[in-house]
Amino acid sequence: MPCPSKPRLLLLLPTATYRAAAFVEAARRLGVELTVASELPSTFQQAQPDRLVTLDFSDPERAAQQAYQFARTHAIAGVTGVDDTAAVVAAAIAERLGLRGNPVSAALAARDKHLQRKELARRGVPVPRFELHELGEDVSDLAARMHYPCVLKPLRLSASRGVIRADDPPGFVAAFARLQQILEQPDVAACGGWTRYVLVEDFVPGPEVALEGLVIEGRLHVLALFDKPDPLDGPFFEETIYLTPSRLPEPARRVIVECGQAAVAALGVREGPIHAELRYNAGGPWLIELAARSIGGRCSAVLRFTAGERGRGKGCASLEELIIRHAVGLPIPSLEREQCAAGVVMIPVPGAGVLREVRGIAEARAVPLVEDVVITAHPDQPLVPWPEGSRYPGFIFARGETPEAVEAALRAAHGRLTFVLG
Amino acid sequence: MDAEIRITAEPIDNAHCKFLVSLPVHSGGVRRFASSEAARGSPLAEAIFAIPGAEVTEVIVSGNLVTVVKRSAAPWQAVGKSVGAAIRSALASGRAAVAPKPAGAAVPGGVDDDALYDRVAELFDAQVNPMVARHGGRVELIDVQDAVVMLRMAGGCQGCGMADVTLRQGIEAMLQQSVPEVKGIVDITDHTAGTNPYFAAAKK
Repeated sequence: MPCPSKPRLLLLLPTATYRAAAFVEAARRLGVELTVASELPSTFQQAQPDRLVTLDFSDPERAAQQAYQFARTHAIAGVTGVDDTAAVVAAAIAERLGLRGNPVSAALAARDKHLQRKELARRGVPVPRFELHELGEDVSDLAARMHYPCVLKPLRLSASRGVIRADDPPGFVAAFARLQQILEQPDVAACGGWTRYVLVEDFVPGPEVALEGLVIEGRLHVLALFDKPDPLDGPFFEETIYLTPSRLPEPARRVIVECGQAAVAALGVREGPIHAELRYNAGGPWLIELAARSIGGRCSAVLRFTAGERGRGKGCASLEELIIRHAVGLPIPSLEREQCAAGVVMIPVPGAGVLREVRGIAEARAVPLVEDVVITAHPDQPLVPWPEGSRYPGFIFARGETPEAVEAALRAAHGRLTFVLG
Repeated sequence: MDAEIRITAEPIDNAHCKFLVSLPVHSGGVRRFASSEAARGSPLAEAIFAIPGAEVTEVIVSGNLVTVVKRSAAPWQAVGKSVGAAIRSALASGRAAVAPKPAGAAVPGGVDDDALYDRVAELFDAQVNPMVARHGGRVELIDVQDAVVMLRMAGGCQGCGMADVTLRQGIEAMLQQSVPEVKGIVDITDHTAGTNPYFAAAKK
């Protein structure tokens, strides 16, 4: 097989992703040969078999075998998965093809909240106290012996879908029933045996942060630490604002990063992006969740890297460019984020209903420091609030000198939007 | 007149941004300008190329849509306001914002856009559209200028989460193979207006 002049990336892109354009355009900018693998076939797959493939995302070993067959005629330099499921498939492919990547065990632990808690606790990483329960258990009995407040979680759903806080036994019974309804929805129940279980853990008070990083040979390189200035106290956990750099004091930031590195080591993550959620209080940092993938939704657009030129200026690289460079073994000029403050609002679902119109977009864009307002919900799309929902209707981005100014701009822009539901 | 003109900016990335205008900007098909020299005689394009510090490399005007490509790292939040002002000024002047497309435009190398258009249209009819139709999609060839194909996606493709994959991994690849004289491809679709995307983004 002739050696290709450009490295080929196998990009595992689920069809429900927000991030196709960001990754595809990043690959184009880097001049990387790109093969996009999804769980459903593209209509162009037969015409472009070297650029588009279908892999069985539900069976990582089978997907790895499919990738192996593909690689016999198309040399693959790197593989990366965009979401939690694709990250496990990417790990299986990397193991099969001898590519840079994570052990499958690490990707599995990062995907499953219970498995992750067990591994982290076993290795001494601070996590909330947790218990695993089956849907068929006596809920009244469980409610009577729980510690409150607690949080009920599905093992794998993303975007805090199904995550509910309970403050007392009646609240626990109601939350359990609501989560059970979500887990028994046909599209969820079909996902596997994990949908029969509920993770219950102590609610950890205190501010929450998000840690974005790139792991290289087991070492965590911090790309950004985000504050989440809106309290996430429940009962549901729909996210809103991410702001970087963090305004937490330096000692707090340091121990948060140390906690993230400890979690990376505990789970056995070796290579690639991670996105972790942590809380910080008088007890120090608490690892709430670590995913072996990068930040979701459209949020990655908030991050720009200096591409080797310290500080401001030209040549900024996107998060996707860094991930691709790392995956295929291209040099990474810098992991340093640009100097300015930046933030994003994941626009909250304004209510249940069918989206008819969004008003005020131009006015929101006109707010100083606001760079963009992206409405991802399409007209006539049903909007479903949390905890049943998991789709943000859009995103607002801003950049400025300080996190305070960026936060004010984001709030002002959000305040100018009106969602008309039918 | 200014107050009646509403402009919505839709950045694609830091280099590309679409501006949706509430009034028609140019009703004579698509015009693409790849340099300030090519923009001469079209006041809107001239004004956009002249925006200080933006380093505009391309302006594409079609109906109510103005697509701007720039080289500078300046954010669209800053550049977009100047583009908006240029659009408003051009429309308020009462003159044609964009001159009609000159006849018989040819690209260096002797391949003319009309001939390319016919070959691309044939490819779209015979291969591209039957493929995207399986997902309820449609791809309209809008124009070919300076060997750059301008297209619009509709139906299941409009607003689809995988539209960029279809565009780059499917359509662009087929063009490279079947019509190698094509230099580039520009999607002028308003994806936010898609009401029935085949794949809707759902995961965080």
